[in-house]
Amino acid sequence: MDFSLILRRFKTSSSYYISIGIFIMLVIGIASSLYYSALKIDYVWRWFRIPQYFVYQDQVEIRAQIEGEIESILIKDNKAVIGIKSDEEIEVHTVPISDIRVDEGDLISPGDILATYKKWRVGILMQGLWLTLKVSIIAIVFGILIGLFAGIARISSNPALKWSAITYIEFIRGSPLLVQIFIWYFVLGTLINNILAKKGIGQISPLWFGVAALACFAGAYVAEMVRAGIQSIHFGQIEAANSLGMTYIQSMRYIILPQALRRILPPLAGQFISLIKDSSLLGLIAIRELTKATREVITTSLQPFELWFVCAILYLVLTFSLSMFVQYLERRTQVT
Amino acid sequence: MIDVKNISKTFISHSTEVKALVNVTARINPGEVVVVLGPSGSGKSTFIRCLNYLNVADEGSITIDGIDILDPNTDINKVRAEVGMVFQSFNLFPHKTVLENVTLAPIVVRKKSKEEAKKKGMALLEKVGIQDKANVYPDQLSGGQQQRVAIARALAMEPKIMLFDEPTSALDPEMVGEVLDVMKNLAREGMTMVVVTHEMGFAREVADRVIFMDEGAIVEVGTPEHFFKNPTHERTKLFLSQIL
Ligand SMILES: Nc1ncnc2c1ncn2[C@@H]1O[C@H](COP(=O)(O)OP(=O)(O)OP(=O)(O)O)[C@@H](O)[C@H]1O
Ligand SMILES: [Mg+2]
Repeated sequence: MDFSLILRRFKTSSSYYISIGIFIMLVIGIASSLYYSALKIDYVWRWFRIPQYFVYQDQVEIRAQIEGEIESILIKDNKAVIGIKSDEEIEVHTVPISDIRVDEGDLISPGDILATYKKWRVGILMQGLWLTLKVSIIAIVFGILIGLFAGIARISSNPALKWSAITYIEFIRGSPLLVQIFIWYFVLGTLINNILAKKGIGQISPLWFGVAALACFAGAYVAEMVRAGIQSIHFGQIEAANSLGMTYIQSMRYIILPQALRRILPPLAGQFISLIKDSSLLGLIAIRELTKATREVITTSLQPFELWFVCAILYLVLTFSLSMFVQYLERRTQVT
Repeated sequence: MIDVKNISKTFISHSTEVKALVNVTARINPGEVVVVLGPSGSGKSTFIRCLNYLNVADEGSITIDGIDILDPNTDINKVRAEVGMVFQSFNLFPHKTVLENVTLAPIVVRKKSKEEAKKKGMALLEKVGIQDKANVYPDQLSGGQQQRVAIARALAMEPKIMLFDEPTSALDPEMVGEVLDVMKNLAREGMTMVVVTHEMGFAREVADRVIFMDEGAIVEVGTPEHFFKNPTHERTKLFLSQIL
């Protein structure tokens, strides 16, 4: 059966439009029932409060540090230079002219506000989003490296490499990610940081244990994909490369891996989309990524409904961008 | 140039032993074209693949240009760089353009500059008659064109010896000629060649010597005239009566 033909016939029929109608009704139905149930428990939706957790204007106050008299206020290109003179010393502040609170001749005590200005600041959610992005990107890069190495080791004829790779892959795939994160943070982290402390070297922040946990987790799955990808390449390719005098590493690098990676790009993308979502677990080891940031905002704003939806949508934006990027890669590397 | 002494090769598949080569001895002199004939499963592929270590002979010795390739201390990649191989199934690199297929090994293995490799590559593509396809990918070519690219790819390494394992067996009949023509030209230029083929015309016309194999052993060696006109062994006669 030609599926596209069925689809085309379906598209021109009235049942196609009825189905679209049903879909729209379903979406509206779910949204409105959510809305009305929220009303029932007297939940007040305040979407307007959300943007401030991305960026907000902060009032910055400039205060005097000494006691004295305002000797001069000189205006120069949108800036004012305020000079304060006391018996022993002179203090000079350069401030924006938008909101100057003092005049020449005023008497000033330490801590008095001289001027204020507004400044844009990045909110907690934006910081969390950025941290999630950063953690994910680093973990993806290391995940690919670990996966490549472990995948190649997995099919090596050297038993040391092979059995190490199998042990690693099976251990990682057989235990929950959350437990692995705890092992990295509470076990390895404690060990490493205590040893570092004894040697008088600085501590490693939880962020890096979180990244390590995610990278090692993804690496094991990537390794299996790399293995399958390599094994899916026709044996004749290796023979052709060998017959041209290429070494094992050269034939891997120029012939086998480029073809294998292209083939495993779709499952690889799926793995990294999971990784982005799994990074939400890192909140449990005190890394303020998006999910933890959301929880913190909720404790102060008391708008959990809006914020959890926003949180979910932000993850969706990240994962969707990644899958778009991979589709672009796939199109670009496609051999016609 | 190639000196094969008493090599044997046994495959073990599904715990049964298959004797692919039994005590094979042969000599290929510089500039010689040797065609290997024999029924299916007679060990022709195994023999030719042993010559560049794609199969490893269990015993005996193989010397190429004075280098013992079965010696564990030999850098086999150095030897392989001097021995070109053309496969039945072309085995072009599908993710590389035709020109990249030809220039990759010279750049990577021989450390040639890109420009030099390209120049040489284009000249070789011209030689095999596909210079106009230099920038397309292999799967846009016909089988005959692909096999000619594969020959150019092997020649780009400037090998001293060329091995061909049934280069025309996977081709549609109308494309066999174009590949054989390229091989004939090579032979005329004095390339040392070992060719496994079922093309009797090629054997008659181009071969300096014919090796006939059966059940893993060399049964008869001789000039094409001798081989096709008055073969001595019963098995050779049987083989010729079946295919001619
Ligand atoms: N990798 C292998 N594993 C197991 N048996 C093999 C292998 N390669 C070849 N053989 C066996 O060795 C014998 C010789 O095979 P070979 O491929 O050399 O024959 P051939 O003369 O090239 O035949 P054909 O004309 O069909 O290509 C055959 O019985 C084959 O089944
Ligand atoms: Mg064969």
